[in-house]
Amino acid sequence: MHLDSKIPGGPLPDKWDRHRFELKLVNPANKKKFEIIVVGTGLAGGSASASLAELGYNVKTFCIQDSPRRAHSIAAQGGINAAKNYTNEGDSIQRLFYDTIKGGDFRAREANVYRLAQISNHIIDQCVAQGVPFARDYGGLLANRSFGGAQVSRTFYARGQTGQQLLLGAYSALMRQVAAGMVKMFPRREMLDLVIINGKARGIVVRNLITGEIETHKGDAVVLSTGGYGNVFFLSTNAMGTNVSAAFRAYKKGALFANPCYTQIHPTCIPVHGKHQSKLTLMSESLRNDGRVWVPKNPGDKRLPHQIPESERDYYLENKYPSFGNLVPRDVASRNAKEQCDNGKGVGKTGLAVYLDFEDAIKRDGKDLIAKKYGNLFHMYDKITADNPYETPMMIYPAVHYTMGGLWVDYNLMSTIDGLFVMGEANFSDHGANRLGASALMQGLADGYFVIPYTIGGYLAGTTLEGVNESHSAFTESTQHVREGIEKLISINGKRTVDDFHKQLGLIMWDHCGMARNDQGLEKARRLIQELREEFWENVRVPGSNVEFNQSLERAGRVADFLEFSELMVMDALVRRESCGGHFNEAFQTSENEAKRDDENFSHVSAWDYKGKDADPVMRKEQLVFEHVELSQRSYK
Amino acid sequence: MNWFLDILRSSIGKKLMMAVTGLGFCGFITAHLAGNLFIYNGKEAFNLYAERLHSLGPVITALELGLLFFAVIHVLTGVTLFYQNIMARPVRYVVNKSAGGRSIGSRTMPYSGVILLVFVVLHLLDFHFVDKTGTTIYKLVETTFAVSWYALFYVFAVIVVAIHVSHGLWSAFQTIGANHPKYMPVIKTAGIIFSISIGIGFGFIPIYILIFT
Amino acid sequence: MTKTINLTLKVWRQKGPEHKGHLETYRADHISTDMSFLEMIDIVNDNLTLDGDDPIAFDHDCREGICGMCGTVVNGRAHGPEKETTLCQLHMRHFSDGDTIVIEPWRSRAFKIIKDLVVDRSALDKIIAAGGYISVNTGGAPDGNSILIPQDIAELAMDAAACIGCGACVASCPNASAMLFIGAKISQLALLPQGKPEAAGRALSMVREMDRLGFGNCTNEKECEAECPKEISITNIARMNREYFKAGYFFSKK
Repeated sequence: MHLDSKIPGGPLPDKWDRHRFELKLVNPANKKKFEIIVVGTGLAGGSASASLAELGYNVKTFCIQDSPRRAHSIAAQGGINAAKNYTNEGDSIQRLFYDTIKGGDFRAREANVYRLAQISNHIIDQCVAQGVPFARDYGGLLANRSFGGAQVSRTFYARGQTGQQLLLGAYSALMRQVAAGMVKMFPRREMLDLVIINGKARGIVVRNLITGEIETHKGDAVVLSTGGYGNVFFLSTNAMGTNVSAAFRAYKKGALFANPCYTQIHPTCIPVHGKHQSKLTLMSESLRNDGRVWVPKNPGDKRLPHQIPESERDYYLENKYPSFGNLVPRDVASRNAKEQCDNGKGVGKTGLAVYLDFEDAIKRDGKDLIAKKYGNLFHMYDKITADNPYETPMMIYPAVHYTMGGLWVDYNLMSTIDGLFVMGEANFSDHGANRLGASALMQGLADGYFVIPYTIGGYLAGTTLEGVNESHSAFTESTQHVREGIEKLISINGKRTVDDFHKQLGLIMWDHCGMARNDQGLEKARRLIQELREEFWENVRVPGSNVEFNQSLERAGRVADFLEFSELMVMDALVRRESCGGHFNEAFQTSENEAKRDDENFSHVSAWDYKGKDADPVMRKEQLVFEHVELSQRSYK
Repeated sequence: MNWFLDILRSSIGKKLMMAVTGLGFCGFITAHLAGNLFIYNGKEAFNLYAERLHSLGPVITALELGLLFFAVIHVLTGVTLFYQNIMARPVRYVVNKSAGGRSIGSRTMPYSGVILLVFVVLHLLDFHFVDKTGTTIYKLVETTFAVSWYALFYVFAVIVVAIHVSHGLWSAFQTIGANHPKYMPVIKTAGIIFSISIGIGFGFIPIYILIFT
Repeated sequence: MTKTINLTLKVWRQKGPEHKGHLETYRADHISTDMSFLEMIDIVNDNLTLDGDDPIAFDHDCREGICGMCGTVVNGRAHGPEKETTLCQLHMRHFSDGDTIVIEPWRSRAFKIIKDLVVDRSALDKIIAAGGYISVNTGGAPDGNSILIPQDIAELAMDAAACIGCGACVASCPNASAMLFIGAKISQLALLPQGKPEAAGRALSMVREMDRLGFGNCTNEKECEAECPKEISITNIARMNREYFKAGYFFSKK
């Protein structure tokens, strides 16, 4: 199989314009004849549903939550990037493009990233028009801040709730179309299969989470915007319901899954408190602007932080990276925290934490200024841990936060299955091996508002689609398959809960396929996953029945998919014989312990092709071509 | 004029009617209290005030009809709201606890309202729909409050008025949309002072009559 | 080292909307005080599952206080006893050993119970669909800086926009009224210049929809404001009332 990225010709800045011109248009009168299925209502799904409906398509939108306003995009705190250059610091589309592609450790497509930077400005305009209350300067103009180590202030924000406000903007546009009758909304539905007829995605099978009924829905195209797979680690900053199932079941139907091993681990999260913890909470990265990261110099030092004299503290980031200090990128900060804890210098009850200390900042700037900058974060920390960061150093530890990998898509966001489009975190396209802060919101909205409305038209106008209905054998087979899977889960009636398996899987992944990986650990993980999967299908206990509201059953299906998907992650990590961004193999590092890429041999996307239950998937490569940027080694010394 | 009634019939419209009529009553009791204060000036002063008031004739009748109209609206709307609010939660909580928003006044509005209605009827029977030939208003007050338990009932009723108003006054401003960060604290304080004044001003009269005359 | 407590739970169990519900008593033993309230229920559910019983159904998702999915009434208080806190952010250190905790679902005619503590809040979506938006199609927006918005106005709009749509205002209102929810949305959009062109129609149609859905009336009890996890102020209700009267009596369209 040849992976054709369908990148348009011509100079980089003109590609998107040219492509939009070359895409066929659907006659306005014909749009209402098409039915488009959108799964997921985060930034990408919500904005796409609204935009497609505005164009005149009939849209059917599905989400697992009780309302389309709850998708996990809502939890993004920091902000959204755009190349507006409102601050006159010399920002430009070119610079945003370059920063993003470099931040991704040169493992993303140039054309996609450039388009993202171009569209970024329109997103801000669109959101302002919708009534998103972005922060303003005294004069009433939009305010910007610098974020995630960027050298220009290009991040737009709405307090610490930017994701929420952008999502509510998209949600309101979506609800407007629901009221207009253009979008039919199906909440509390979980997609369990993709239906393919004559090689084209023509529908989905979903479970009605309230009644347990298996429903079938036909469409002329299917758009997945179902988020990332960070919950394969069980503990992550993702919402509890976040899962890989929709994407993974599409993969099993022939959509290639790209770069599953790229996982972003965020350095500043509240550490784990115990084995019953269900979720990790992110603390904004901005804390590292003033906080100093340290651990005791002597391993096993159990004294309280204020009892440890200055001379016995190791400010390891400042010592190791004199020029960037505490502000090194996320992956570097995370890996170093892990290294310190592995050396027995971790602090707190579990030994899996490092200090983030504001004592010097408070001495220097005064408590008031620090409170003004971080008051809400300190408050949040205090609420969760019952520790006061003004008096005692915060404890932080890295946690899984975002996944760069996802279903492979071409420039049109179409997967390897005709008519199946994938957007947002669910696709692999724009962040390469590492995502920069404030880029995820930008990508989700770019895909939904400004890419899919054109490219889906190009597909629909250029394809002949025969009429199908839900009584087609493909739907009945699919329904049957889904039903069997569910019945099997219920019938096992074993001795361990779904969460118990999920937690064990999470630990395996965290230990061996987390911040730092090595071949031995990955091989071991693969074995452990296989064993655990086997046990799951013999010993899981799913209470209740399949014809009722059954949250254990919902989770069981998702964990079953994670148990297969995790192995794919491990396999992907094993074949990428280099370190880059969110994938760090200890065997490939510079003398300074930094990720060492192998551009000659691994400047490609690894896309996995499912070959059935009993065979290993096959890896296909999409070679990445860099014509506009020069590949360089990241250095933060 | 359908639009006019439609707005009034909506949930917010009903609140508006409660607020406007309620504010009307606040105006009325202010005037009522001001008049009643003449009682402390002695028998003659009080009787003279009553005489002058009644000499206004048609103006008083118009105001009385206005008050009656307001009362009908206030009571009917209040009953409707109470019923709708009960219906809005068909299954009640087993445990109920306030988060600190409610006050004695807000909590008891419908019940204090019922007490007030009874009181107003009695009060009108005592002093309004009564044969005033051969007597003066002062005498009427004197005889009515000569019965000590009845005087105490009046005191109680007036306290209920104060409690009702303690929530009603600021609440009316909130309802008509007059909630401004600069003025709302003033309105709330004024509401408290107002209800205390009403309570003391009216409540002391029966005691005064009972004890000092 | 970790402090643990033992609790008695009385949880509302109801199989479905048409079934009768009742309070069921459970033990929650050795609960670490560092746990969140939902993690405590997770443990109870694990035990129920292993004992062959039906675990307690409850809504939750982000567990960081922003998605608005979780929420039950705990000992008579929506989202539990702490101020400015969603249920997922409530920690067990606020309870004492031996406490009895009564857990009930949001109760309102407009929120049907789906199962146990899970309620159907689609009424809130319907209210937004009735006008909680600005009618701009994708594509035609002018430059973001072409509209100047004074900082204090933007901040006020943001205060209102912080609503997470959890429904605690309805649950805690003695009258099961949704006015804080609607007031917040009408306020946000009425404050911003972008929302002004549609302000009148929006106020009328959103209030009409709210009334149709069977929510109670506001009697200014302020419980919603006291219970709102995002501390949304009732000044937004006053602003909604203003917008509504203005629209009803001075808007030329009938």
